[in-house]
Amino acid sequence: MKLNIEGLLVYFPYDYIYPEQYSYMLELKRTLDAKGHGVLEMPSGTGKTISLLSLIVAYQRAFPLDVTKLIYCSRTVPEIEKVVEELRKLMEFYAKETGEVNNFLALALSSRKNLCIHPEVSALRFGKEVDGKCHSLTASYIRAQRHSNPDQPVCRFYEEFDSVGRQVPLPAGIYNLDDLKDFGRRKGWCPYYLARYSILHANIVVYSYHYLLDPKIADLVSKELAKKSVVVFDEAHNIDNVCIDSMSVNITRRTLDRCQNNVDTLQHTIQRIKDTDAAKLREEYRRLVEGLKEANVARETDVYLANPVLPDEILQEAVPGSIRTAEHFLGFLRRFLEYLKSRLRVQHVVQESAPQFLKDIFEKVCIDRKPLRFCAERLQSLLRTLEIADIADFSAVTLISNFATLVSTYSLGFTIIIEPFDDRTPTIANPVLHFSCMDPSIAIKPVFQRFQSVVITSGTLSPLDIYPKILDFRPVTMASFTMTLARTCLCPLIVGRGNDQVALSSKFETREDFAVIRNYGNLLLEMSAIVPDGIVAFFTSYVYMENIVASWYEQGILENIQRNKLIFIETPDAAETSMALEKYQEACENGRGAILLSVARGKVSEGIDFVHHFGRAVIMFGVPYVYTQSRILKARLEYLRDQFQIRENDFLTFDAMRHAAQCVGRAIRGKTDYGLMIFADKRYARADKRGKLPRWIQEHINDGSLNLTVDETVQLSKHFLRQMAQPFRQEDQLGLSLLTLEQLQSEEMLKRITQIAHQA
Amino acid sequence: MDDQGCPRCKTTKYRNPSLKLMVNVCGHTLCENCVEMLFVRGAGNCVQCNTPLRKNNFRVQLFEDPTVDKEVEIRKKVMKIYNKRECDFQSLREYNDYLEQVEDIVYNLTNNVDVENTKLRMEQYQRENKDVIQRNKAKLTREQEELEELLLLEQQSNEQRRLEVLQEEQRQLQAKRKSKQALLDELEQSKLPATLLLAQHKVRAAQLETEIEQQKQNVKPTSLFSTGIQMNHTVSLQPLPRIEEALYLYKPLHVETYGPPVPELEQLGRYGYLNHVRGSLPQDTAGGYTSALACYRAIQDAFSGLFPPKF
Repeated sequence: MKLNIEGLLVYFPYDYIYPEQYSYMLELKRTLDAKGHGVLEMPSGTGKTISLLSLIVAYQRAFPLDVTKLIYCSRTVPEIEKVVEELRKLMEFYAKETGEVNNFLALALSSRKNLCIHPEVSALRFGKEVDGKCHSLTASYIRAQRHSNPDQPVCRFYEEFDSVGRQVPLPAGIYNLDDLKDFGRRKGWCPYYLARYSILHANIVVYSYHYLLDPKIADLVSKELAKKSVVVFDEAHNIDNVCIDSMSVNITRRTLDRCQNNVDTLQHTIQRIKDTDAAKLREEYRRLVEGLKEANVARETDVYLANPVLPDEILQEAVPGSIRTAEHFLGFLRRFLEYLKSRLRVQHVVQESAPQFLKDIFEKVCIDRKPLRFCAERLQSLLRTLEIADIADFSAVTLISNFATLVSTYSLGFTIIIEPFDDRTPTIANPVLHFSCMDPSIAIKPVFQRFQSVVITSGTLSPLDIYPKILDFRPVTMASFTMTLARTCLCPLIVGRGNDQVALSSKFETREDFAVIRNYGNLLLEMSAIVPDGIVAFFTSYVYMENIVASWYEQGILENIQRNKLIFIETPDAAETSMALEKYQEACENGRGAILLSVARGKVSEGIDFVHHFGRAVIMFGVPYVYTQSRILKARLEYLRDQFQIRENDFLTFDAMRHAAQCVGRAIRGKTDYGLMIFADKRYARADKRGKLPRWIQEHINDGSLNLTVDETVQLSKHFLRQMAQPFRQEDQLGLSLLTLEQLQSEEMLKRITQIAHQA
Repeated sequence: MDDQGCPRCKTTKYRNPSLKLMVNVCGHTLCENCVEMLFVRGAGNCVQCNTPLRKNNFRVQLFEDPTVDKEVEIRKKVMKIYNKRECDFQSLREYNDYLEQVEDIVYNLTNNVDVENTKLRMEQYQRENKDVIQRNKAKLTREQEELEELLLLEQQSNEQRRLEVLQEEQRQLQAKRKSKQALLDELEQSKLPATLLLAQHKVRAAQLETEIEQQKQNVKPTSLFSTGIQMNHTVSLQPLPRIEEALYLYKPLHVETYGPPVPELEQLGRYGYLNHVRGSLPQDTAGGYTSALACYRAIQDAFSGLFPPKF
């Protein structure tokens, strides 16, 4: 259907539209009009992706000069593929409606591992191996060596792409990863480099967060994207953690040992090159003396280890004299390494700031701040000069040099924590140096500064105002949309007490309490008797889950549950978990259904959807707070309080509630779906917790569903399930939560739509 | 780490966790016991390289690699002599060359390359630059100064936060004590029923709680002078970094008028241009106005654009 969104003609590839989609597009258009940033929350399963795509594509067509490019960032490869499929549908609709062949280019970009078509390289299992192998075949000096030595293996796909691929742009169309690979195979071009080259002139790019947020990668891939782009972060509820992870470094004793080996290898290589080809080192030296910017010389395949963000004016400066020659630089690395080793030999926890660290390092091993800052840059240059093909081996020394650069560049927003052992195993020495970023805005700042519109969207972003605070930006629109429903298909219940009136809670004091554990068991047992098909239960941590399940086993509860349903358990091991998931789904398809016991913040809670019968009920045992004794978390909380005036408790609750909302949101993936959401902890009934749930869940919590006992819950659930079991047809939805074009244009509907968006 | 040990008595860290390794100027390791035994007289030769050593030069080995210990030792010595700062040089390039030279010396001394010559070079340098060395002894480099400043700031903010928390706690305690006392007094004197008083007290206590919540972060920082300058602030004594730029050269403005040359301002009266111009009133001259100026502008205007432009 064709829509008119405040004067903009939008092609929407479906015959029906949800009212909230219309409202979402309205808000989005306002954001684009204002050339500002936006935070939009819309429940999952209401067609966020297609609304986003159809509006922005329409906007691009209407104002080709204002918005030149859409950069769509998603988290995982399957999600990226889903976006491309939606886009394909949209473009087919365009072609059908307008009849013209449009010259739209959209493509997905992923790592070499997902895009490589070289028969040997693509067979490797790990991403790092693929990257290293690829580099050893395509680096410019390897290719240069081939001129003198034709036996030198190179990648024929890259060679082919390099010789002809750049002259003709990629033909217009929609390319997902497989399409790119097919295209590459047909032409004999490397799909990875083709994609990386093509994103410069593509209209839509779909890729992972890291290509924009991780400074080490962003500099390579996304440096030349135009300012007039719209950036969309989908599923962005964890964006602050992604930012922080991309700037943090953890160094263990093993890293240092591997680094020591790296340095030794470097030393040997330098010695060898000095004997055979001293001119090369002299050339590098000359270049460093002149202060030539490395990037000007480097070819696209070489820039494999970019340095972390450095202010440009520093990059323009010449490398300091003390690390100019290769031997001196090695000596410098050695001293730095030995210093780190001596720091890791602590017996107690040390926490210090970057300036303190710098001062100490100067006193102990006479290392100044300036050479440290250039460490990453210098190492990169050295590795290139030594023509080391297999760079994957040098990850340890790269990590150390990145750390050196970061610690000397940023004085605020970072902290160094050295822990001699893991908190859980205080007897085993396992020293770790955490260089942890506490300010997510550092990593994301360039994105906000560079692009005219950045849209952060997800199903669970409540409370909306905290994201602008911790990411330090000013949005022009902030809105939360509810789900319009023809029938109330979600039923959030807060269970506060057991049948014996014992308060249910996962708080620390009652964690070991048998009464609580027994009542949790009873809850699950009762639910397993009445809920058809699948139930997903979330615990707050693996340890807690283990304790409870062991205790249920002793009390015989587990046995009773197993009379009703099969039980599967998520473990920290990825392979085991995917096996459990597979079998769980099989069990849901057959017989009486199954129960999946999993952990909030785990793999299941983040990426797996339980549509329809795979998840008829979600039970959240306890409030999923983070491990609050972690020193990194404590430092971060303190920083948030000092810099952003966010109180510790507010942040902790916010974090716990967004994960709880993520967990329970797994069950409802559309309007025809239905599911119970059971919050089994009396603390959820408090206003401060409840108020932080997304609005589309909050709306359905009324006073009657607070602080229930287990048998009240069972009664309510039975009633709800019986209602939901009635046949539900599309006609029931039409006009209420599903609209045709005529219905959309009616006066009354437009009025109702304005109420959907809740401005924060 | 555990396989580290004394080369002489073969004790390792693993067998004797309290083993203390020492290192001397030559960069070879000995354990504390062996040092005590071999250097009873205060001097002796290194077991491994036969360098004459003194006992009081032995240091506890800080790093796993004893050569690093040695290098740091040497480096500290060299840095005492080669202590020029960036501001002592004309350009960054020269400073970098200097840094490299220092690095070379340290490298040579550490790896025993050409030791004699290097030492001579150092001595010569020391003689030549005596006063500079003396002058720079107490000075910190710019970067170090920056660091010190940051550390100071950090310390201050920490201290301030600690004080705030303390004050806050005390205030809360006092308020609570007061309200409790008030309740007791009321119970003693008032004629209202006790349940009512208790209920009232509960409401008041809740109010107090919220007030306390709101009062947070209302303490003004006290580490500033009224001018806004930090107390205990270290003032940088270093000269400002030299900015190398070409000096500005004045070039008189040349305007292409496309017309006949305009007579100079001073010559207007001589040529008689001013005869038919109204003379300036005394009020006008206050601002620096002369009739010649107006006339000059008018003539410029009249003369310009008369010829076709040449391309």
